[in-house]
Amino acid sequence: MTVFTRRLGYGLLVSTALTVGAFSAASAQERVPAITLGTTTEAYDPIRYEAAFIIAEKWRELGLEVNVQPTEFSTLLGRFYDQQDFDATIIGWSGRVDRLDPQFFLGTLDSRQSNPGGNNPGGYSNPEYDALFDAQGKEFDITKRQELVHQAQEAYVPDAPVIVLFYRDEVVAYNNTTFGEMNAMAGEGLYSEWTPMQAQPLGDRKTLRIGGPQEPDNINPLASTSVWGWKWMRLYYDRLVRLSPDVEPINWMAESVEAIDDTTINVTLREGLTFHDGEPVTAADVAFTFGYYQTQDYSYFNAYLAPVETVEATGDLTVQFKLKTPSASFANIALSQIPILPKHIWEGIENPGDLTPEQLPTVGSGPFKFATYNRGEIMSLEKNENHFRADDVAVDGVEFIIYADMEGVFTGLQTGAIDMTAWRMEAGQIPLAEQADHLNVISVPDFGYYHLTYNTKREPFGDAAVRRALTHAMDRERMVNVLLDGRGEVGTSVIAPINAFWHNPFVETFDFDMDVARAKLEEAGYSWDAEGRLVK
Amino acid sequence: MNRRNYLIRRALQALASLFIIATLLFFLFRMGLPDPTTALLAEGLSPEQREAVRQSFGLDQPLWRQYVLFLQNAVQGDFGFSFHYRAPVADIIWERLGNTMVLMVTAIVVAYVIGVPLGAWLSWRRGTRADTVGIFAGLMFRSAPMFWTGMIGILVFGVMLGMLPTSGMRTLPYESTGFLDKITTLDFLWHLTLPALVVALYYLGSPLLIMRNTMLEVYGEDFIEMARAKGLPERRILYNHAARNALLPVVTQLAVTIGLAAGGQVVVEVVFSWPGLGREILNAVRTSDFPLAQASFLVMAAFVITLNLLVDILYSTLDPRVSFK
Repeated sequence: MTVFTRRLGYGLLVSTALTVGAFSAASAQERVPAITLGTTTEAYDPIRYEAAFIIAEKWRELGLEVNVQPTEFSTLLGRFYDQQDFDATIIGWSGRVDRLDPQFFLGTLDSRQSNPGGNNPGGYSNPEYDALFDAQGKEFDITKRQELVHQAQEAYVPDAPVIVLFYRDEVVAYNNTTFGEMNAMAGEGLYSEWTPMQAQPLGDRKTLRIGGPQEPDNINPLASTSVWGWKWMRLYYDRLVRLSPDVEPINWMAESVEAIDDTTINVTLREGLTFHDGEPVTAADVAFTFGYYQTQDYSYFNAYLAPVETVEATGDLTVQFKLKTPSASFANIALSQIPILPKHIWEGIENPGDLTPEQLPTVGSGPFKFATYNRGEIMSLEKNENHFRADDVAVDGVEFIIYADMEGVFTGLQTGAIDMTAWRMEAGQIPLAEQADHLNVISVPDFGYYHLTYNTKREPFGDAAVRRALTHAMDRERMVNVLLDGRGEVGTSVIAPINAFWHNPFVETFDFDMDVARAKLEEAGYSWDAEGRLVK
Repeated sequence: MNRRNYLIRRALQALASLFIIATLLFFLFRMGLPDPTTALLAEGLSPEQREAVRQSFGLDQPLWRQYVLFLQNAVQGDFGFSFHYRAPVADIIWERLGNTMVLMVTAIVVAYVIGVPLGAWLSWRRGTRADTVGIFAGLMFRSAPMFWTGMIGILVFGVMLGMLPTSGMRTLPYESTGFLDKITTLDFLWHLTLPALVVALYYLGSPLLIMRNTMLEVYGEDFIEMARAKGLPERRILYNHAARNALLPVVTQLAVTIGLAAGGQVVVEVVFSWPGLGREILNAVRTSDFPLAQASFLVMAAFVITLNLLVDILYSTLDPRVSFK
């Protein structure tokens, strides 16, 4: 017998023995199937990548077979949302201002959004939760709505379908020798719509220079699909309502917003508003804008416009909104997000999505006027002296300098080429910025979050007890301390603590404790085989 | 085969290569890049809304139709609309290509104007300390990653000394009526200095070493012996007789370098936030912008193919020994 065949013989013998062993165990109890844990690639986001390994390590200690699968981001999104082909996946939601209203984040646990492509790919389904979600969406009394939102959080958290891993602080910096009164806003950082309106020039230059690595996809108010497009456009397109730095809706172009009944809202415009081309802003422009967005079916705003039945100009300055169903968030969110377009410019444009940059109108009525946009280089705005708040605006313009990466942005901040960063700094840059005398570093808590979602339609995650136990085995404290360098907070509910009014501080926290995790598994009828693998 | 037939055949070959590349690019991108609308999922878009976006991009059409349309349009120089920017791809590419080429050509010219004579000189001083230092420096700059030399340059000249700008092509904001207007200013030269220097240092090694080594080969040829025998001064032999004959490989290298330069040096364009084609390609791949990515690569390929063709033509002029086989 050659060495080779002898080896083969032994191998067969061993594997047969193993198979027999496994079968005999299976007859009584079955091993929990291996779990694939999806996450981003290290290059895309080292934090989510490392978080997956921290989780996998502890889950393995519990006797699970875990494969971490780092995946290219678009593919990861596709598998998660579209195909719902995952066991557990780490992904995130960004904290856009309109998501401070609980409607959006609570909706990610609504069982009716669990269809492919929906926002609840984990398939969590709890009729009690769905009822609370519907009720809060229709409740106009803010105290009652708060109560319902708190109950909704209590209803879902113990089931542990989606685990908020952490809220990551956004660490930004600005030059304290060129501008003062630089206030960061939750979820927005320094690059909020208020900073250019509040900043006070300290030096000779009165133009605020913002630097960032993100460029808007385009500045077409009917085609842009990125938050970077809108962060810029909202400086020159005004809205009826703006959300204050404390995220309270304040009347802006609107003199008053009156809810006549559950489905009727009357808005009266301020007098004397004008567009940048000198034409007056009238109720007809407002009614046109909402109607135009509806007929154009512009996906970015569809969710805000969904409740709208009709919008009608009832006078020169008065507009009436009729809603299909009562919507608590409509007045705050939709009115604060939809930019008012000049009717006389847009009404002749049939396919606004096809406009080339040269054809694109840039006339708004906001506190700043459009000046230039050189793709890949710079965007700039001038102060609108005719705006009703012009007296409060101290800068004479805003420039956004587009860099290729965060390294370039930081060098710009160091050399004084820019006054503030539009985006969070990289970990290594923070201590450097803290040492520099001319820079102020600000940590801004986020209400967006990174989460791990269990696929409740797959075993073993259909069992809430397993989800709860595995959540106890997540060392989220360590993630915050090590991965975020302490700049963040351990996750609790999808409504972040910084969103204090809606956040329920009394939900179950699932503190890291391996003994509790084991005990919970045992309670749920699980045990361990001779090799330490989890069986049921 | 006579020269005319040869040239026609080479041109046809070049066109065929271009067609094959265009086809490969189209299918590779469709297979390699995920659906660009996937990114919209993160914005919380519903499936119906996403389908509408897919339709507006023409992604609902069968693949072969998309392919035929792509070829038809490409022949007419129309690369369609960029998904991301909602602007004609051709406009973006030509502008970016200009920005890239002005940086790369400057750097390449600097590298060859210095590198070729220096290489010849080193070969003349072969074996001396100057030769060792020259080879070492050439190899070092050739091997040092450009993001590193670039960052050192930024740190020293931009941050510490504050002498040179660290990003962009011009002091922002600026107004210009066109590309020429943009680059015919001192401000542009000032911005060009650091990135061009970094790229030039990188490119310097090739002409330097190729020239030096080819020169050494040429020194062994009979006609050099002959020139020496005639009693010509060494300097004249070096530059008039030897160098001219050593130029051929350098010219090849130059053409290939310029051809590849169309794609820019992505790294340098990112480090210096230079709005060039390389940086744009990176963005296009990141955002799954098929039309922009396809067209960028196609333009790059066309550049390389055209320059190769030019080299072949140039060869027949430079070196009569090249036959049309």
